Order: sequence, then C-alpha cells, then structure tokens
Amino acid sequence: MIGEFEYLILSSATRLGVDAYGASIRSEIEKATGKKCSIGALYTTLDRLENKGFVTTWMGEPTRERGGRSKRLVQVTPTGVNEAGDFFRVISRISKGTSWTTNRTTR
Amino acid sequence: MILPKRWAVALWLSRFLCQADREAVLGDLTESGESGGGAIANILGLVVRRWMTDLFDMQVWFAVGFFILPISYLLSAIAQNTAGIGAVYSWMYLNNWDWALTRNPGFWHLLRETAINYSIACLVLACWSWSGGFPIGRLPNANLRANRIAFSVLLAALFLVDVPARLIQFWMSSHGVPLGPALPDPNAPITANVFYHLFFPWIVLATLVILPGLSGIRHGNRSLVLERKIRVLLVTAATISVLILLIHVPGVNLLFGAAVGDWLWRNRSAMQVLPLLSCWPLFYVVANGFGRYRGRNAAVAE
Repeated sequence: MIGEFEYLILSSATRLGVDAYGASIRSEIEKATGKKCSIGALYTTLDRLENKGFVTTWMGEPTRERGGRSKRLVQVTPTGVNEAGDFFRVISRISKGTSWTTNRTTR
Repeated sequence: MILPKRWAVALWLSRFLCQADREAVLGDLTESGESGGGAIANILGLVVRRWMTDLFDMQVWFAVGFFILPISYLLSAIAQNTAGIGAVYSWMYLNNWDWALTRNPGFWHLLRETAINYSIACLVLACWSWSGGFPIGRLPNANLRANRIAFSVLLAALFLVDVPARLIQFWMSSHGVPLGPALPDPNAPITANVFYHLFFPWIVLATLVILPGLSGIRHGNRSLVLERKIRVLLVTAATISVLILLIHVPGVNLLFGAAVGDWLWRNRSAMQVLPLLSCWPLFYVVANGFGRYRGRNAAVAE
C-alpha cells in the first residue's frame, strides 16, 4: 500500500489533471494540510511513484512566469489511480465509527 | 539582472542537481515566489535526499567495488609516482638553478630530454585517467552523479593515505620479503620543501587525474548514443589502456608472480613504448570536438 504523502501527491495530481506539475502539486498539498511541503520530499516521492509506475513525468516547455524554466509535468497512471483508490477505501473503512472529536476536546 | 545574494547561493547549490531537476526546481521556486532563504533550504533538502538515495543504491556500491575503486587505486598509484618524479626534477632544475650550467651543452641536452620524457609521462597519465573514467561513464545513467563523486573522493582518499605504497609494504612483510635496511631518504631536501611535499602532488592529481578522469566519464556517458561498432571500439581501446596502466603501476606485478615479473623485466623496452598506445583519447577528444563544432556550424547555417 502507498504512504500518506504518496496519497497526497496522487490525489492532488489527479485533481489538477493537465495542470499537475511540481509547483501546483506543492501548492495543493500546502493548502490541504496547512503545512509547508518541501521540494525535496515532493521530488523524491515523485521519483518513487514513477519507479512504481503510479505516475509518469516529463519536462514541459519553458514558461515566462517561471523565469524561462520548464515544468516537470505529472500524470497519474491507471495503476496509480487504483492504488490511491485502495488507500482511500482502507482509510475510510478503518475510520468508520471512529470519532476524533472526544480526543480533541479532552486535551 | 543582479541576483540577491541568497538566490545566488541557491543557484550555486542547484548545480549539484541533474539538469532536469535543476530546471524544474528553480522554475517551481520562481513561480511560487519563494524567498532566497526558502530556495536555499528547499534545494539543499533535495540535494541531500538525492545523495542519500544514491548512498543506499546497490548499483552505486557495485560500481564502486568493481570499477571505481580498482581504477582509482591504479590511478592514484601512478599519480604518486609521476608526482614524485616531477618533484625531483622540478627541485633539481628550479630550486637549484645555476647560470654557470647554462654554458654547458650537456646541461641543455639533459634538460631537453628530461622535459620531453616528463611531458610524455604527464600526457600518458592524463590519457590513462581519461580511459579509466570512460567505462565509469558507461555505467547506469541514473548514478552518473554518484559515480563522479565516488571517483573524485576515492582518488583523493587513496592518494592522501598513500594506500598503494602501504599495500606493497604490507604484501612484502606478509610474504617474508626482506624490506632492507632503513637508509636515509635521498629525497629528504625535496620532501622538506612544503611546496613539493604538500602542494605539488595534489596539483598533479587534480590536473592530470581528476579533471581528465571526469572528462572521460562525461565522454563515456555521451558515447552511449553512438553506433554499436564505435561503442565497441571505444570500450576496447579504454580496456586496453587500463590493462597497460595495470602493468605499469609499481607493485602490481608482485600479484602476478615471479614468472610474469621476469617476463615484464626482460621486455621492458617494449613496455616503455606501450603507454604511448594509451594516448588514443587525445585523438578521440580532438576528433569529437571537431565533429561537434562542425555539427553546430551546420545547424547555424540551416
């Protein structure tokens, strides 16, 4: 099974579709988690996902807003979609009937 | 455009990444308006993670054990030898220059002969280093960066500790070969000179071994896209060069046994000519540079 950070990347990249690349995925993860996402963690995890065949990446055209540099575009493969789906189902199943509210209010 | 200092540091750090990573990461950081400090932290984080990934990659260790370490050993041994000879001659001529000798034709004859022989020795060393780097560049592409670092670090470490000389001493003592009486060092005045003792050997290592070796790695990697026949030819030539280097490294003949040692000694005149065959990279680099220059001109003309 994939890890939670891998899930965050797969989920963001799937939602972003053709606009999925390093900076946009990073921004999505930061918005969702409210925490900083390091480029190092993002790119090494992307490499791992690519090695597992869950995403494909390629270099796009250079753009002006990026100082004339190219994007590393990301596309989630059908296997990646299945893995992310499995992860989501497992998390949903294990979370069924569990309430975190009590733990939070008792602190 | 003048870059803020921190961004300049971040750009410099990004040189440790491969081209694709560098391009994507710098673009992402520019697009997201990252501060200079943030850019440094992010790039440094990625560089460290990449190095850690390389460190735990078995392919890298395989390359280090079977290619990079043996080649670095041979090159550091021959570099020590070349640096030692160079230090002796430089000290003789530069530190003990006597104008009175310049009137002696024999002095000029000897100086010319020494300069030619030492120049050839330096050229051969640079070509051996290039040939040694060539097969390393042909190892899996993903580990190119790690292989380059391993090659440079191992060379420096073996050179610093003078591992080849220590191994010969160890081999001789473990095989009961008498080491002989401890005589006063005939090169004591040279080793007492800080420049020849500390700096000269490292200059030789950097200019005649590490730089040509890294160039060999780059050309080896580029050769992966060449025609099969040319690839085979280049690998064969590099292998022959490394074999020639092997028989010229002091102490290595001890491993082959007395018979091979005797045979090498009897054929020493031929052995002295063999290193010239190792100079093929010189022609390859010139031909390659010319080919690339012509290719660029043709592209501009189109």
